Amino acid sequence: MRIVYRFVMMLAAITMFSEANGARAAELSAGPALASYRPKPEQVAKLEIYPSQVRLRGWHDAAQLIVTATLTDGRLQDLTGDVTYTVSQANVVRVSPSGMVTPLNDGAVEITASFGPHQARVQVLAEKVHENLPINFGNQIVPIFTKYGCNSGGCHGKISGQNGFRLSLLGSDPELDYMTLVKESRGRRLFLAAPEKSLLLLKGTGQLPHGGGKRLEVGSDEYNMILRWIVAGTPYGDPKDPVVVRISVYPERRVTTRYNRQQLAVYAHYSDGTVEDVTRRAQYETNDVEMASVDFTGLVTTMGQAGEAAIMIRYQGHVTVFRATVPLGLPVPNYTFEPKTIVDHYTLAKWRQLGLMPSEPASDEVFIRRAYLDITGTLPSVEAVRAFLADKDPKKRDKLIDRLVDSEEYAYYFALKWADILKVKRRNIPQRAQGTFAFHSWIKDSLAQDKPYSQFVREILCAVGDDRQSPPVFWYTEIQTPEQFVDDVAQVFLGTRINCAQCHHHPYEKYSQDDYWGMAAFYARVGRKNVVSLGTPVQNQNQARLAIFNRPTGTVTNKRTNQPAVMKPLDGNPVICGPSEDPRAKLVDWMTDPKNPFFARAVVNRYWAHFFGRGIVDPLDDMRETNPPTNPELLDALARDFIEHGFSLKHLVRTICKSRTYQLSAVPNDFNKHDKQSYARYYPKRMSAEVLFDAVSVVTGSPSTFPGMPSDRHGASRAIMLPDEAFQSYFLDVFGRPQRLSACECERVNEANLAQVLHLLNSQEIHDKLSRPGGRADRLANDPRPDAEKIEELFLLALGRRPTPEQLQLALQTIERRGPQNKKQAYEDIIWAIINTKEFLFIQ
Amino acid sequence: MLTIWGAAQRFCDGITRRNFLKIGAFGAGLTLADLLRLRAAAKSAGKTSLPNKAAIMIYLPGGPSHMDTYDLKPNAPAEFRGEFKPIKTNVPGIEICEYFPLQAKLMDKMAIIRSIVSVDEHSDSLVMTGYPERISRVTNHPSFGAVISKLRSTVDNPVPAFVSLRGMSRGTEPGFLGIAHRPFTPSGPGLQNLRLPGAVSLERFEDRRALLHSFDSLRREIDASGTAEGMDAFTQKAIDMVLSGNVRRALDLSTVDPATRERYKGVEQFLTALRLIEVGVGCVTLSIGGWDTHSNNFTTLKRQLPQVDKGVANLIQDLYDRGLDKDVLVVMWGEFGRTPKINNSAGRDHWAPVMSALVAGGGMKMGQVIGSSTERGERPKDRPCTVSQVLATLYTAMGIDPGMTFLNGAGRPVHLLDDRQVLTELLG
Repeated sequence: MRIVYRFVMMLAAITMFSEANGARAAELSAGPALASYRPKPEQVAKLEIYPSQVRLRGWHDAAQLIVTATLTDGRLQDLTGDVTYTVSQANVVRVSPSGMVTPLNDGAVEITASFGPHQARVQVLAEKVHENLPINFGNQIVPIFTKYGCNSGGCHGKISGQNGFRLSLLGSDPELDYMTLVKESRGRRLFLAAPEKSLLLLKGTGQLPHGGGKRLEVGSDEYNMILRWIVAGTPYGDPKDPVVVRISVYPERRVTTRYNRQQLAVYAHYSDGTVEDVTRRAQYETNDVEMASVDFTGLVTTMGQAGEAAIMIRYQGHVTVFRATVPLGLPVPNYTFEPKTIVDHYTLAKWRQLGLMPSEPASDEVFIRRAYLDITGTLPSVEAVRAFLADKDPKKRDKLIDRLVDSEEYAYYFALKWADILKVKRRNIPQRAQGTFAFHSWIKDSLAQDKPYSQFVREILCAVGDDRQSPPVFWYTEIQTPEQFVDDVAQVFLGTRINCAQCHHHPYEKYSQDDYWGMAAFYARVGRKNVVSLGTPVQNQNQARLAIFNRPTGTVTNKRTNQPAVMKPLDGNPVICGPSEDPRAKLVDWMTDPKNPFFARAVVNRYWAHFFGRGIVDPLDDMRETNPPTNPELLDALARDFIEHGFSLKHLVRTICKSRTYQLSAVPNDFNKHDKQSYARYYPKRMSAEVLFDAVSVVTGSPSTFPGMPSDRHGASRAIMLPDEAFQSYFLDVFGRPQRLSACECERVNEANLAQVLHLLNSQEIHDKLSRPGGRADRLANDPRPDAEKIEELFLLALGRRPTPEQLQLALQTIERRGPQNKKQAYEDIIWAIINTKEFLFIQ
Repeated sequence: MLTIWGAAQRFCDGITRRNFLKIGAFGAGLTLADLLRLRAAAKSAGKTSLPNKAAIMIYLPGGPSHMDTYDLKPNAPAEFRGEFKPIKTNVPGIEICEYFPLQAKLMDKMAIIRSIVSVDEHSDSLVMTGYPERISRVTNHPSFGAVISKLRSTVDNPVPAFVSLRGMSRGTEPGFLGIAHRPFTPSGPGLQNLRLPGAVSLERFEDRRALLHSFDSLRREIDASGTAEGMDAFTQKAIDMVLSGNVRRALDLSTVDPATRERYKGVEQFLTALRLIEVGVGCVTLSIGGWDTHSNNFTTLKRQLPQVDKGVANLIQDLYDRGLDKDVLVVMWGEFGRTPKINNSAGRDHWAPVMSALVAGGGMKMGQVIGSSTERGERPKDRPCTVSQVLATLYTAMGIDPGMTFLNGAGRPVHLLDDRQVLTELLG
């Protein structure tokens, strides 16, 4: 399935490529011709072949050549698939047009790659071509199953196997695979007397009906390898045989152009120091189909977008990544951009590298609405907008940000964000409300007083007592097992998803089950019990509250070894913890250490994504070696600055929002209009459910009430202030309020859908808000001021700008046509139209 | 405990499974990348379009007795076989309960599975998601209908993809596919939104549209994510839907000819389901009766079986008459079978080791019985299969690979079904 999926991804990418090619080429006709990446011979200064020499050992060995031209302007251009190869002795080796060298006979030859007048040469030694070298099952047979998808999660790799035949997922357990193939089902899968009649080969090649179809060609190298392994008596290999310790790729990085190609070569490094070319057997996957695609053979094709592309490469449980920087490649006019906060240094450097030009700075109208909505989840009042527009102070934007960060709404708005991923959930259990309210309130207060983030996390993870003494204990209501503890700690606080490693080696990561259970072990001594509130009868279990305490002993079993897991943080050293110590505290010590590679990066990336709509690593909680940041220097600088400022979240918000980058307009120019990852402009986003709900309430002048919530001026009926998920609202659900099922921000959906649109356009709820006596339409209808002034006020409130003359005219006409007795109705219709505009729904 | 038609379902554990939340949301479907992927997949499979078959899932809450419906055992001892007699159907060799005379005439248009193993759990989770509630509560596997919704919701399709005529339950939840794929429940706000609020005349609505058109000065090109563009498309569709009222009319049976209405008298929701499918809904789920017959099994069934017969037989006949039998698939089942041995209260208790299901249409092979149970209806005898495998077969018949993956909240690709060996007899 995995393979099929990837295949489909590739197809999609190809489709987009061809469509994009036509459309964008026309669009960018001002730029250089995009027809070919291939240079003219006179543009080539030098031609080189990697590796400098090739040694092929055994008939199944093969080497991928990488031919690189240095152009006269200094750029490097891959020409692996474009040169002509000649071999000094044709019967020794064969070279495919894509640069793959395979042996035919023993001997030493020279391969020449020619491109016009340019030539490059490489010496090739082929040896032991006709000898049967010993085969190692784990090193040579298992990777075939991985490459052809046999052991993928959709097929024989799933835990129950497929039609009675199970392989370990992605070859993570060669011993199990060996037992299954050779011993299980009385050895029926392999037929030593007539190896080519083995069920494994007959099914894999589709000669016998096979649910997974034909995976292998008869006579292919892989087929021959399996065949020879059976002929040799299905050896497992010497236990002292070397194992793969890491893989590498050549090249690791390249600056290339759009619609260009790059062949990759992948090497497995063994424990005995030998290196093997595994280009044919490795698996490739692109991180972003709009940036680049990659095929089965490791040939990368860049797309029409400028930015950073990453290709993940996997082999035998090891991963590495190839990264390409793809500049736009159009002549950029001179522009200056004066950095303001550290953010700007690194975004600017990236734009220069990619040939992008940032948009203009956003206008004051746009900026005040954006800052209010992004920092406080609240529309600015008409007075605030008017005052800001009139203010002549050059520092007024900085001052506004300082004010907003210290407002109560800031704390509420970010508490909502944290409460989502900390799963502050009532689950229809009324007794839980005390806990959810207390925990939410604690989060909000922590943010309001700018408690250092490291301290905030420590108080949650190390919580003891019941949720009245210590509200963060409530977190443990939803975290009940070591597995939930690891998954949530990793995803929320370390920005990495290691859930896969619970049951098998992580397919996109270096982490194994031992890494997973090493983290789980920190939960081992968490004690839980239900305590009864004072003054209530013991029998009344409904009144019982969760209390968390530390036990002096306790272990978590590593599922792989069935032994007690050793406490070990990710990429860290094993931790010893005395009986009176709290292992969780040790974990937090490791997390909050300034040298920790995950902790600060995870939170700055999360906050960055809040403001820019996309993380520097995206998805924002999926940080891993194979999913590199689009701007690593920016991420590092932000993390460093955050740590240096005492883990201050308010400082982080100020650093981001005061940057010129954040204050760019969303309106694109010719250079950045396709940019989605370099922040060369502001990416507009739809208001989230709660923010929109509140905004609609304000504009219609018709606040709502939520049962059980106070309705005074401060605690009011604002959706961003709701402590848990239990407040029923069709509006909030339909606009994507999460149910707090997962620790992923992705649970909150901001996509458009039909039901949302229908609700805003046509629901009784909106209609009631519009027509409510004492609501805004009613008040405006009875307000003696001239209509033009009132309409201007409406626009300022809802959209942060004044109406255009045409818009004003149309609104006035509507009022006039309806006549004085239907004035309220006219205002209802005007407000209805305003709240249904995309301009209202979007923060831009 | 007996159940009452139309009322909230109460089961023997005393818990009322009310519709715990009424909400209908539909539409938010595929991202652009998803869509391109699917289109490319369809193209590579030689198909020109996305899967467009539809499904009607009939749920018999409480768990109907297999031995008194589709798997009678006339030769079993009296304390097992019960009161009902089997009757012949129009397919030689297949017999069903005497209270199913209408279906007996249509056996060539239906198939029965008699060897399904279930779990002892009063929940529609297993038959709707493929996973029992105790698992799905943690893993949040999506409902069959939510999957259809995810795959079918594009702006091209201005009707809800998934409709529940039985409110919300664990088994209708979209799980990790996201709240947007909850079924549309034609009651509450979801239904109201289909008609203009009382005070808004059509004329006034047109005025509003003119204002909206003028006020919206957001430039679409500033949003590269496509959300703004999607919003425009949805706005157009939503307005069309309100003004044309196609879904609203499908739900309004007063316009149906009297003869048809008479045929569905008392089981109108079957007709509603059919009409919703006809306007383009991808999956409709409904429930009928209460089948948790711990006592007075036969009295209850005598009342309920003819109703089920009427509903499902008319539905299947109409699907054939309208030429929809290849494109619409029907499945009817409960959560488990009932004890083969009759208890002291003339009832039958929960029995998960074996149950039966009815399937029809969807281009599957009809007129057959798959699997069998032992002489006294206690266990599968031939061809045991699981609920998940039956669902895998239904997905496959709909053109959906049950092995396809969606990312869950932890970013892990999760297959629609883990246990997905199909019943090849049905797919032919």
